[in-house]
Amino acid sequence: MSVGPRREGSGNGSPKVDESRRNLLKAMAVGAGAAALTSVAAVDKEKFKKALRKVSIEDLLGVPADVEAGSTLEMRAKKKEKELKEWCRKEAEKICQERGDASEDCKLARQKCDLITVKATPAKKGVRYAMALDVNKCIGCRRCVYACVMENNQARNLGIEWIRVLELDRMEFQDLLGSEWYYGNEAPKKENVYVPIACMHCENPPCVMVCPVKATWKEPDGIVVVDYDVCIGCRYCATACPYGARRFNWAKPYVPVQELNPNMHILGNVPRQVHVMEKCTWCIQRTRDGGVPACVEACPVGARVFGDLNDPNSPIRRIAEEYGLFVLKPEAGTKPRFFYFFGPSRTPPREEAKSEGKEVKENA
Amino acid sequence: MPRQDGWWETIKYIIVEALKGSRRYYLAAAGLLLLTIYGLYLWIFIQHAPVFLGTDYGGLILTGMNDSVVWGLYISFFVFWVGVAAAGIAFSIAAYVFNHPEFKKIAVLGEVQAISALTIVLMLIVVDLGRPIRALFEMPLLPNLRSMLDWDFIVITTYLLINLVGALVTIHYYRRDKALPKKFLVPFMVIAAPFAIGIHTVTAFISQALTARPIWNSPLLAPRYVATAFAAGPAILLIALYLAERYIEGFSVSIEVYKKTLYLVAGATIVGLYFTLSEAHEIFWYTTEPVKWAQAKELFYGPHLPYLAVLTWLWIGLGVAAVILALIPSTHNSKGAIAFISLLVVVAVIAEKTLTIVIPAYEPSTLGEIRPYHPTPIEYGITLGVHALGLLIYLLLAKPAIKAIMTHYFKPGAHHH
Ligand code: SF4
Ligand code: SF4
Repeated sequence: MSVGPRREGSGNGSPKVDESRRNLLKAMAVGAGAAALTSVAAVDKEKFKKALRKVSIEDLLGVPADVEAGSTLEMRAKKKEKELKEWCRKEAEKICQERGDASEDCKLARQKCDLITVKATPAKKGVRYAMALDVNKCIGCRRCVYACVMENNQARNLGIEWIRVLELDRMEFQDLLGSEWYYGNEAPKKENVYVPIACMHCENPPCVMVCPVKATWKEPDGIVVVDYDVCIGCRYCATACPYGARRFNWAKPYVPVQELNPNMHILGNVPRQVHVMEKCTWCIQRTRDGGVPACVEACPVGARVFGDLNDPNSPIRRIAEEYGLFVLKPEAGTKPRFFYFFGPSRTPPREEAKSEGKEVKENA
Repeated sequence: MPRQDGWWETIKYIIVEALKGSRRYYLAAAGLLLLTIYGLYLWIFIQHAPVFLGTDYGGLILTGMNDSVVWGLYISFFVFWVGVAAAGIAFSIAAYVFNHPEFKKIAVLGEVQAISALTIVLMLIVVDLGRPIRALFEMPLLPNLRSMLDWDFIVITTYLLINLVGALVTIHYYRRDKALPKKFLVPFMVIAAPFAIGIHTVTAFISQALTARPIWNSPLLAPRYVATAFAAGPAILLIALYLAERYIEGFSVSIEVYKKTLYLVAGATIVGLYFTLSEAHEIFWYTTEPVKWAQAKELFYGPHLPYLAVLTWLWIGLGVAAVILALIPSTHNSKGAIAFISLLVVVAVIAEKTLTIVIPAYEPSTLGEIRPYHPTPIEYGITLGVHALGLLIYLLLAKPAIKAIMTHYFKPGAHHH
């Protein structure tokens, strides 16, 4: 630790910024702490303020890539936020008139409208996201699907679901032909295996290549996004995607305002317009702020892992080293960044559970 | 008289001639106009109502398309008409390259045909696009040169322009009874020829390289597109000639033109059939690609979409029949018989190059789902409207074109053939 010279620097109020910003912040914090401890009464407030600089969350999380504050995207996000708030309030008033000011729905709707924020958080430098899913663990409960719908403000009237869970035959699983999408509530079945599929955030994405207006692209952190204000709805990308990941708003999408997720990203879960394309964004509104995608959080068996491929301590790297990562349809040549793996603890299919462990538990 | 010779006069001539006509002509034009308006109404006020009017109802959801089958009837017919347009100018190229006077005479009709086909092509894209107004601004503003759609748009609009110029110049000279100047013809052909092949090739390239759609992954796709284009395009021209001879007094074309064109049509049909055979062999004998195999099964047997199999076998059946008829000498010598064979070929190529090209790529989809696609009434209605517009434009342009041809070639008293 080389905090010594820094302490002097912070003392006279003009620190020399010659090392990385992160180190500087660290040094200042330590220096200020030490000063505060030794002479509580001696430091006058103004001097103290000069010595300390306010740390923003963005500073702590990393240095933004190439989008600075005041970028076009940011400005668009602000504008969108205003529009959405207006729209939301109007919708909320309708609800309040219909159901009364005291109703739960009315209160909730109003609250949601106040909370709406539309961000344009850029990618962090040096980060390369990836996700992996444990095929041995997945029980096909589709909780990730529902969590995704809610988190990402997907149209409730169009059956748009970014994640599809395919039920496939355990013994014959070679390709996706004959996959069952609507398998009811009996999952997990002993003879089946469940393969959730969403956008693979391909390294070499054909959807991006084909878009005639550059409405979709790969961000530096690996997230493939769609700009809903540019998409012309030609659906060429949906034709080009080998993973059926793209969803189109075939009619005007409807999301009740009281169910709105107010934490929004302009390239992610802002409510969509009619006739534009959308798809999984790895919850850009969460992950760029240091969180994990909603599906990872919602999965009851912990089948999903998300992290930064470039960070040697990330969970995704541990999975890669311990179990190895597999991709679906490698022949498509798109280099997915969504992986499958075969984890250790196999969730016992229901019947076996009954005959073995469960009875013991019930008797006990 | 310089006023009489001006380009402005030519445009006026076209408009005046297009608006003059018999009762039957007016009735036909009015009928087509009505259908066009109806299609426009369906598109603006129903299918695209949420976009244009901000309504809650309507949207592309009213079509048979969905997230598994994202392209349908519109794009299917788009493919077909690109082919017809491509063959338009090829016709006049052949006429001038072989320097055949009878072909030269009617070459401008090939250009008129291309113009109307391209109108249909562009309108089909427009009605299919989710946000057409946005596209108008963004295609030029944010071009993605890796996207084949942009290239297709560029070649199609350029080709349309070329044909417009061709038709205008031809009418300009013929109406004053002058031959087309060499100075114009040579560079015109040199520019136009690659575009004629280009529009269909690029259209095939939109789909042929997508690994997501195995049945399209065939380097034969573009050649097959071009081959059947050269069958259907000239066949439509022959039918048009036949009708023009019947309904326009004093207009006649030598049977030589019919015969020679028929050879081209038959030859192209043979090549098209041969490509189908070759593709069928690749799929049914050796392919180990399960999705391609499944898609081919839909195409040839149609377990879930019987109409695909019907269309495929219609192409093969009618194609073979047309070729056989074309080879029989007795049919060569009657314009009526040749027009009939042409009709067979047109139907065969429509069967080959519409739904059968587009739909199998989505059945089963990339995730193995089979969601049978059936066009809905609104799709049929809009498609019909678009076709009515194309036909109307054909009518309005062919009329002055034929009049100009007659001024130049059919001098009163001295018959040309
Ligand atoms: S999975 Fe599909 S939508 Fe996602 S990046 Fe790859 S090609 Fe694009
Ligand atoms: S649908 Fe939108 S995102 Fe997809 S290719 Fe067309 S314009 Fe691009």
